[in-house]
Amino acid sequence: MLQFTQFVIVRAIMAMITLIIVSFIVFSLMELVPGDCAERYLAFKNTQGSQISVADIEVERQRLGLDKPFITRWVHWITHAFEGEFGESCILRLNISRLLGQKFWISLGICLTSLALAYAIALPVGIISATSNNKVLNNSLRLVSYLGLALPNFLLALMVMLFSTVVYGNSLTGLFSPEFRDSAWSWPRVVDFLSHAWLPIFILGWSATAFAIQTVRALMSDEIGKLYVTAARARGVTGRRLLWRYPARHALGPIINSLGFDLNRIFNELPVVALILTLTEAGSLLIEALARSNDQQLAGAIIFLLTASIVVLNFFTDVLLALTDPRVRHSIMG
Amino acid sequence: MTDATDTATDAKLDQKRKEAYFTASQGQLIWARFRRNKSAMTGAIVLLVLVFSGLFAPFLTPYAPTIAGRDKSYENGPPQIPKFWDENGFSRVPFVCTPKRERSIKTNFRWVTTIDCNERRYLTFLPKGDRYTLFGMKFERHLFGVDKGKIHLFGTDFNGKDIFSRTFHAINTSLAVGTIGVLIAFVMALIIGGVAGFYGGWLDSVLQMITDAIRTVPAIPLFMALAAFIPDTWSSEMRFFFISTILGLIGWPTLARRVRTHLLSERNQEYVLAARLCGASARHIIRRHLLPSFTSYIIVDLVISFPYMVLSETALSFIGLGLKDPVNSLGVMLQNVTKADVLLNYQWYFIPVIFFITLVLAFVFVGDGLRDAADPYSEHSK
Amino acid sequence: MTRLLDVENLTLQFDTDEGRITAVDDVSFTLDQGKVMGLVGESGSGKSVTAKSLMRLNAGNAAYGEQTRATLHLDSGSVDIMGLRNASELKIVRGGAISMIFQEPMASFAPAITIGKQMVEQLLIHTDMSPKAARELSIEMLARVGISDAAKRFGQYAFELSGGMRQRAMIAMALSTRPRLLIADEPTTALDVTIQAQVIDLMKDLVAEFGMAIIFITHDLGVIAQTADHVAVMYLGHIVERGPVREVIRTPAHPYTKGLLAALPHLDDLDAPLVPVAGDIPSPLERPGGCVFHTRCPVAIEGRCDRVVPSFVDLDAEHHVACHLFAMNEVGA
Repeated sequence: MLQFTQFVIVRAIMAMITLIIVSFIVFSLMELVPGDCAERYLAFKNTQGSQISVADIEVERQRLGLDKPFITRWVHWITHAFEGEFGESCILRLNISRLLGQKFWISLGICLTSLALAYAIALPVGIISATSNNKVLNNSLRLVSYLGLALPNFLLALMVMLFSTVVYGNSLTGLFSPEFRDSAWSWPRVVDFLSHAWLPIFILGWSATAFAIQTVRALMSDEIGKLYVTAARARGVTGRRLLWRYPARHALGPIINSLGFDLNRIFNELPVVALILTLTEAGSLLIEALARSNDQQLAGAIIFLLTASIVVLNFFTDVLLALTDPRVRHSIMG
Repeated sequence: MTDATDTATDAKLDQKRKEAYFTASQGQLIWARFRRNKSAMTGAIVLLVLVFSGLFAPFLTPYAPTIAGRDKSYENGPPQIPKFWDENGFSRVPFVCTPKRERSIKTNFRWVTTIDCNERRYLTFLPKGDRYTLFGMKFERHLFGVDKGKIHLFGTDFNGKDIFSRTFHAINTSLAVGTIGVLIAFVMALIIGGVAGFYGGWLDSVLQMITDAIRTVPAIPLFMALAAFIPDTWSSEMRFFFISTILGLIGWPTLARRVRTHLLSERNQEYVLAARLCGASARHIIRRHLLPSFTSYIIVDLVISFPYMVLSETALSFIGLGLKDPVNSLGVMLQNVTKADVLLNYQWYFIPVIFFITLVLAFVFVGDGLRDAADPYSEHSK
Repeated sequence: MTRLLDVENLTLQFDTDEGRITAVDDVSFTLDQGKVMGLVGESGSGKSVTAKSLMRLNAGNAAYGEQTRATLHLDSGSVDIMGLRNASELKIVRGGAISMIFQEPMASFAPAITIGKQMVEQLLIHTDMSPKAARELSIEMLARVGISDAAKRFGQYAFELSGGMRQRAMIAMALSTRPRLLIADEPTTALDVTIQAQVIDLMKDLVAEFGMAIIFITHDLGVIAQTADHVAVMYLGHIVERGPVREVIRTPAHPYTKGLLAALPHLDDLDAPLVPVAGDIPSPLERPGGCVFHTRCPVAIEGRCDRVVPSFVDLDAEHHVACHLFAMNEVGA
C-alpha cells in the first residue's frame, strides 16, 4: 500500500510540473501582446476624452505591478491561479473568475459527457465488430469512422443549424432559454439546460465516437490475435466469456491511457462549435476574448483551465490504470 | 513438343516475376500494395483531381475570386445551371437565362429578381476574361464563360463574388497552407524527435516533458492565441505564411513523439549494432539505416495530418483569426454563414463545404491506404 | 494396448488472399493410450496445424478435406472429431479429453488474470466441481508439477513466475481435467537446456501416473529420442516416415530423415563440418508434384519421384516409409 501511495504522489508531482510548464507557456503568450495592461487601459480612457500623459501610464503600471520583472509576475500569476484567482481582465476591468463563473464548469460538463457518451457507444460497438465477420457491419462502421474523421464538428454544427433553420425555422442555439439564463439552479433550469445541451453534446461526441470506435476495434483485433486467446479457446472457453474476459479486458489499458488525449481533442473542437451554436460558456468566451476584444488575461486563464483539466484527467487515468493492470501495479510495488 | 516449350516460357516468366518481387524497392512494394486497395485508389484519384483543379483554378474558373471579379448586378444570387432547353426552344449551346434586378417604390425599395428567358446568355469556351498569373506566366483565357454578363454556377455571395471561382481558389489556398504547415511540422519533428530518440538519456527526458506539456494544451485555443497576435498591418501574404507556420508549430509534438519512440526502439536493434561494428558513423547509420526504417510511417503520418491542418485553418479563418480577404479559403468563405439571413435564404453558400468534405475524405482514404500498404506486417483483416 | 486415436486422410487447406494453400496432405496415424508420439519436422511442415486439427483450433478459413476422419476412443464412447458442430460439443476436445500446451508459456496465460483463476475456470467448464473444490485441485496440481509454495503461486500472475515455473504451471493447468491426450506444441523450444530436462522428466512422470498419451511436436530430434515411443517425420504437410523411435533414429529409411540425422553434430567427431539438407523448403504455394521431397532429395529418381506420390511401404510391423526407393525394391528391380 505504501508503494502505491508513493506512486500516486510521484504522479501528482509530475502533473504539477507539467502544469507549471504549461503556465509558463501560456503566461509568455499573454505577455507577447504589444502594449501592456496599463497602456491599454489608459488608451481606453483616452478615447473617453481624458488626457493621458506618459507619467500617468507609469503610475498605472506601478499600481498594477507591471513594472516588476517577468519571473516575479509569472510566479505571482501561477500561485494565484492554483487558487482559482486570475486577476482582472485588462479590457473589461472585471475579476476574471467572477466573469468565468459557472461557465467553465458548464463547458467541462458538456465535454466530459460527450466523452462518456462516445465510449458508451464505442466500447460495445467496437468490441462486437472486431469479432464479427459480418461484411455489412464492418463496411458501414468504416464509413462511419471516416465520416467522423472527415466531417469536423463545426461543419457538422453548421449543417445542423442549416437544416434546423430551413426545416424547423428554429436554429437550436443557446444553452438556456431566456427566462432561465441568469436564474439560480433549480430543477426546471436543469431540464431546460439539458434540452439545449443535448445538441452540443451530440455534435462534440460525433467525431469522438468515430475515433473511439476505430481505436477500440483496432485494439481488440490486436488482442484477439494473441496466443493467450487461442490458449483459452483450447481450454474450452467459449462465447461471450472468451470475448469479454480475455481480449476485451486487456484492451482496456490502452483505452484508459488515451482518455486524456480524447478530452484534448474535444476541447479543441469546443470553441468553434460553441461559437456557432452561441453557447454561453467558456469556449465561446475564449473566442470572444481573442478575436474581438483581444483580452489576453481572460484568454490565458481559460486556456490554462482547459489544460489543467486535461492534466488532472491524465493523473486520474494513470492511477486508474495502475489499479486495473496488474503489470503496472507490479512494477510499482517492485 | 509445344508442351515443353510452354512450360519453359511459363517458368521463365515466373522466374522474372519472382525476381521483380524480390528486388523491388520499398517504394515499389508499397505502390503495388496500395494499388490493390480500391478505396485508397479512389481516394487518390479524387485527390489528384481536386489538387489539379486547385492548381489550375484561375484557368478553370471564369472570374477572379476577389472584389475585382465581382458581379455588382447579381449579389446574393442563387446558382445558375446551364440548360439546353426552355420555353423558347432548344439550343445546341448551353445557356442561362438573364436575371434582371429592379428596385422601385413598387417593391418597397427591395431588390426583386426576375428571370428573363427571352434574353439568353450562351456559354462560350475559352473566352478571354480577367487576367491571372499561373506559374509565373500571365494568361487571359478561361475555360468557359458567357457571351454577355456573367455566369454563376454556384451563385454569388453578398458582394457579388462568384462562389464557383472562389471555391476552387480556396481549395488551392487551403492545400498550400496545409503543405507548408506539414513541412514545418515535419522538419521540427525530425530534428527534435530525432535528437531525443537518438541520444536518449536526460536530453530525451527534458525534451519529452516539454513536448508532452505542449501536447497537453488543446491546439485550437493555442492557435487562436497565437493567431491573435498578428497585427492588422501585415499584408495578406505575410498573414498566410504566419498562419501556416503556426499550424506547423502546433503540429510537431505528436509527430516528434513518433519519431522519438521509433528511434529509441530501433537504435537498440541488432542491425544498428552490426552497422556500428562495421565502423559506420552515426550520421551514416541515421541516414542509411534508421531513416528508411520509419520513412513509410512518417509519410503516412504526414498524409494523415494534412486534413487536420486544413481543417484547423478553416476553423481559424472561420472565427476571423486566420486568413482574411483577399486571400481566400473555406474558412473565409464560411465567415458569414451563421447569419439567419443566409441560413434561410442563401443556402448555396454551403456548396463549398461539400468540396471540402470530399477533399478531407480523399486524404483520409489515401492516408489509411498508405498506412496499410506501408506496414508489411499488417493483416488483411479489417 | 488400447487404441486412443485414429487419424485417417487428414487434409487441411487454407483459403488465403494468395490462393488455396495446402497445409496438411493426407496424413494418417494412430496412437495408443499412454504412448508418446513425436511429430518432427522443419518449420512449415504442418506439425502444429495437424495437432490443432485434433482440437479443431484452426482459423476460420481452414477447410478440411472430405476424406478426413479423426476418431477419439474414450471410455464413454468414440468421438468423431470432424463431426463435432457447436461449441458445447467441441468442449470435449478442447480442454476436456484433449489438452494442449504451447511453446510460449508467457504468452499463453492471459496477462491480467491470475493463474489460479484461469485454472479454476477450466475446471468449472469441464467438470461439476464446486469453485472451492476446483481451487483445491488446482493448488494440488501446481504442487504436483513441482511448483513450491503452490497456494501462493495460485494467486499470482504469469509475469511473476520464472520461465520454467510458467511452463510447469501450464502443464498443471492442462492436466487438471485429466485429459486422455496431451498435445505439446514445442514445449521445450523456448527453455534453456537444464529446464528442458526438468520439464521432460516431469512429463514422463505424468504419463506414467495419469496414463495419458502425448503428441510431442518439435524439431529437436534429441528430445524425441528421449521422450517418445513412436515418431512421425513430416515434410511439407506429408508424413514421410513413421515408426518406433529407436528404429527410425538408428536405421532411418527416408532420405529426409537421413538428412535430418546427418545434420546433427556428432559427439565423437566435434571437428567434422555440419551437413545440412540441401536446398530450401518450398513455399506452400508451390508444392512440388509427386513426392514432396523430390526437389531436395539426393537420390530422387527422375521420371518417378517427380510424378507419382509415393504410398506407404511397410519396412516391418510398425516402421513405414513413403518413398519410391523402397517401393521399387519391393516390387522387384
